[in-house]
Amino acid sequence: MATVVSPRGQRYVDELDQIWIERRGLWGWLTTTNHKRIGIMYFFTALAFFGAGGVEALLIRTQLIGPNGTVLSPQAYDEVFTMHGITMIFLFVIPMTTGAFGNYLIPLMIGARDMAFPRLNALSYWIFLGSGLFMYASLVQGHAPNAGWFDYVPLASKQFDPGNNIDYYGYGLIFNGISSTIASINFIVTIFKLRAPGMSINRMPLFCFAFLAVAFALLFALPSLSVAALFLELDRQLGFHFYDAAFGGAPLLWQNLFWIFGHPEVYIIILPAFGIATAIIPTFVHRKMVLFPLVALAEILVAFLGFGVWVHHMFTVGFSTLTTVYFAAASMIITIPSAIQLFAWIATILTGTPQFKTPLLFIVGFIVYFIMGGLSGITVAAIPFDQQVHDSYYVVAHFHMVIFGAAVYPILGGMYFWFPKLTGRMYNERVGKISFWLTFVGTFVTFFPMHIVGILGMPRRNYTYSPGLGWTFLNFVESIGAYILAVGLVLIVANLFFSYFRGADAGNDPFGGDTLEWSTSSPPPAYNFAVIPTVTSPYPMWDRADRERDSGRLDAGEGLLNRGHLTPATTVQDADADEILSMPPHSGWPPLTAFMLTGVFVMLVLHHYWIALGFAAAAGLTLIGWHQRETSP
Amino acid sequence: MLAVGLAGCGKQSILTTRSKPAHDIALLWWWMLAAAVVVFFGALALLIVAWVKRDTPGLPFVGEREDLTQGMVLLFGIAVPLVALVALFGVSDVYLVGQTAPPNPRTTSMTVDVIGHQWWWEVRYDGGRAVTANEIHIPVNTRVNLVATSADVIHSFWVPALNRKIDMIPGLRNRILLDATSTGEYRGQCSQFCGFQHAHMGLEVFVQTPAAFRAWLANQSRPAPPPPSAQAQAGERVFMNSQCASCHTIAGTPARGDVGPNLTHLATRTTLAAAEIPNRPAWLAAWIRNPQKIKPGDRMPDLGMNATQVSELVAYLDELK
Amino acid sequence: MTETGSGSPPLSAQARRGPAAARVDRGRRAQPSGWWGMVLFVCAEVTLFGTMIGSYFYLDFGARRWPPAPIKAPEVTAPVIVTATLVAFTPVLVLAVRAARNGRRWRTVQWLLLALLVQSGFLAAQIVLFRHDFNQFKPQSSAYGSIYFTLLATHDAHVLLGILLDVAVLWKLATRGLSNYWLIGVRGLVLYWYVVNVLAVVVVLVVLSPSL
Repeated sequence: MATVVSPRGQRYVDELDQIWIERRGLWGWLTTTNHKRIGIMYFFTALAFFGAGGVEALLIRTQLIGPNGTVLSPQAYDEVFTMHGITMIFLFVIPMTTGAFGNYLIPLMIGARDMAFPRLNALSYWIFLGSGLFMYASLVQGHAPNAGWFDYVPLASKQFDPGNNIDYYGYGLIFNGISSTIASINFIVTIFKLRAPGMSINRMPLFCFAFLAVAFALLFALPSLSVAALFLELDRQLGFHFYDAAFGGAPLLWQNLFWIFGHPEVYIIILPAFGIATAIIPTFVHRKMVLFPLVALAEILVAFLGFGVWVHHMFTVGFSTLTTVYFAAASMIITIPSAIQLFAWIATILTGTPQFKTPLLFIVGFIVYFIMGGLSGITVAAIPFDQQVHDSYYVVAHFHMVIFGAAVYPILGGMYFWFPKLTGRMYNERVGKISFWLTFVGTFVTFFPMHIVGILGMPRRNYTYSPGLGWTFLNFVESIGAYILAVGLVLIVANLFFSYFRGADAGNDPFGGDTLEWSTSSPPPAYNFAVIPTVTSPYPMWDRADRERDSGRLDAGEGLLNRGHLTPATTVQDADADEILSMPPHSGWPPLTAFMLTGVFVMLVLHHYWIALGFAAAAGLTLIGWHQRETSP
Repeated sequence: MLAVGLAGCGKQSILTTRSKPAHDIALLWWWMLAAAVVVFFGALALLIVAWVKRDTPGLPFVGEREDLTQGMVLLFGIAVPLVALVALFGVSDVYLVGQTAPPNPRTTSMTVDVIGHQWWWEVRYDGGRAVTANEIHIPVNTRVNLVATSADVIHSFWVPALNRKIDMIPGLRNRILLDATSTGEYRGQCSQFCGFQHAHMGLEVFVQTPAAFRAWLANQSRPAPPPPSAQAQAGERVFMNSQCASCHTIAGTPARGDVGPNLTHLATRTTLAAAEIPNRPAWLAAWIRNPQKIKPGDRMPDLGMNATQVSELVAYLDELK
Repeated sequence: MTETGSGSPPLSAQARRGPAAARVDRGRRAQPSGWWGMVLFVCAEVTLFGTMIGSYFYLDFGARRWPPAPIKAPEVTAPVIVTATLVAFTPVLVLAVRAARNGRRWRTVQWLLLALLVQSGFLAAQIVLFRHDFNQFKPQSSAYGSIYFTLLATHDAHVLLGILLDVAVLWKLATRGLSNYWLIGVRGLVLYWYVVNVLAVVVVLVVLSPSL
């Protein structure tokens, strides 16, 4: 958008500012349905959980810094490593990617003024917050889940874990799953229906492709986890026998259900990282992505294939060789779409003119660790080798390379990349680079030696180890690496914190980005775009003529939709303008509904079933208030 | 140097192999490592070139050729991985997987049942004629059919020098082959998280000459010898009249408990508490006095015995040869 | 007025009465967001039922006898008749959504009331059958009992949710009228019930499978 707005254009902008004015203060945040505010709340909540999960990680590494460690009791260690897994997966990565990045950026990237269902969007945030606090309440009480995030039965059954530790896990994940299911429906519909006129599917940014794939994967993977957790709680609370071998149940049923969810989950975690990488690379490399359509296809394919490989987590349970070989083949096939994307990024960087600023550095770090984690991933698709190193530190090394090195790096790079858009300020580049190198070195020193320790036969999830097995020195190195890593991460947060107050003015488009969010002011107004943009390519910001036409339309008063809280809806494939939707400005119902649902789960875990039913009825009643205001769905 | 370091140290390393399956898996690992190193440094080299030539667009030498760039992605993204994966699949998942598959029972000359408990291993020979715990004795160069199951939660049997691991799941009887190529003592450990003392659930496999093994098994199959000294006899009375007998079995005595390890020939074992502490009188006394200090959360409670009772018990148990 | 002006797309929230809402509905080139939302929601639900049914057969194939002694194989007649009755009334749903899309508020209410009657009858019959089974064996008696009752109870809860949605939509149609918002509501509701009807057939086939 042109920086100079004519007086007439300014009048329209003022008018829109009035229409889209937001409530101020705490009440404003509580009742907001604005996707950017919800995204920011997601960001800070997920960041807080990242901090908690990080502290848990440091506790683990401190316990393991030497043999026969005594920092944590075995009981405490089990709770800490379980909560570390649950936190990082369910309370940090998913809410940070889909919740924060997706919520804030997808409407901006597709040229919409909000998500398709703004109130549901608020509800999914409040449920996420409720479920996170619910699960952490257990840790405060000292009964945190303690059977690992994978929670295998019968260890997690009432017989072997009689407290209510596991109930916080079972109910918490069902609760959390509601939030993610609602959010993924919202993302899919938003991407299908709210793209700016002209943004046909093949002109959609790759970032949105990745998030679309994630939303579909979540939608189809979560029911399996919810059913598994429901069965678990029925076994534990009411004495059912789904998982009890003595009564015809099957402990392996849990493992199957868990990994039918759990493996797609891995791609749910990493696909947003792919999306962020494909958003950052073209900007700093000054060229379009190599093989755009193939990369889009590969993103969808990875999410799809992710559903057919779950047994590779179970190669040692004694399935027939034929079964394991089938799943090993499927697992190996996933290498292909991953390698296509990998080399498309490398080729784009190689043939462009890269400017190695902090965000791109994190993407390069991501590529390095993704190759490392990918290669070790291929080695564990070789069944006999997997059967040897399964549940050893080799696997811990592999998935931290992938989940931390590959999935979290783009989140960190993305924090730097979109910081100027969110705040209007620039981060400090020099500190940014230092923070990158600390993080990069810390990651390597922490996780690389774990490969070797695993090869030397150290099993996972041990609260301590004996000297004389060859593990002592490497464990020491890993712990030192963890502290370096922690310093790097704290430095990132500190950099952004101080830059918020002192950073230089960033302007609308400090990096020459290619997608629509860079066309609007920093931070964007509540309505995102004064004029609904018209799109003619996947790199709308590089189509200068189109953007100049938009500012011309502002002066002419066209495409403003300034008769209410309005946004256009378009057709699913070609994005032809179809109707104009009226969006809810704010609503107090979503947090109230989420509060009632939290009540349901708290009462369930306390065994007050009638009160839980009362809360459920109250949650239902809030929906009546919800539907008093008729928007256009 | 890495190779020497890896192969040289570690009692539980997957690279110190004493059987054909373990050896083949280690060999597979070295080949995969070599290939991975080539791929990793190749990709790293591309990134370094990208950094060196950051101001010039296009590929090195040929310049801005989009067709060649796309060809590079298709070559490294599809063609090369396809060839490498087909090769790896053939070697590991078609050929080698047969080596680690459960053995055909007709090709094995004996069967050992191993049952996982929180947090120790029950080992049964000849369908229970000899029962021991936390150590497995097998003859060298003999195909042994190992049947793994669990009495409580899921455990995993893993002796890296001898073969892959196999999960021990209640209600299932999983099997693997043990076929050691040289005598010696090999350490293993539970590798599926099984609760508080998962970290202290080790075991030792003793690979013996066939003659030594037969002698060992013959002794294990006999009931416990009667206590020789007065102190040991006092210890037996303590054992039978306290909680000990309700959890442990000593063949030839009234002690018939099945919660803890069978102690019939305890004195022949080298370790206590699942390979956690050495089996010496001082350690045994420390264990009886305060098991919760050595393995916090363990199923064996602190029994509150006085010093005399402990020394009598140790005298008794130390004679269970 | 439902149009913002000639050439530009309609502002659909302005359609507050049946005829206007029907005009917006006819003018749409793509399905509305609300319809897509319901499609995706039922996708998640079908996956949930699929997981439960998969678990049923996982336990079935792992068992020596299914159902385990002394539980008898389920009786076929009553569940089949009850389910067939529900499914036989599916055309009522078709008529309801057609009336709504033609902008006929009270005709829609009529058909939905008839559907509600049938569906409530179905739920009542299901509860009777459930209690009958519950007197024979318990979910605590074996894994068979656990999956049998859980699958049926989930299905019944699914029906109950549909009935609550029926009531809410009927109430809004009666008090507010057939606005664009509630026209899409009717379409979503009917879509939900189509899926319930299909699932009713699938679930009954699964739980009766030992007798078939």
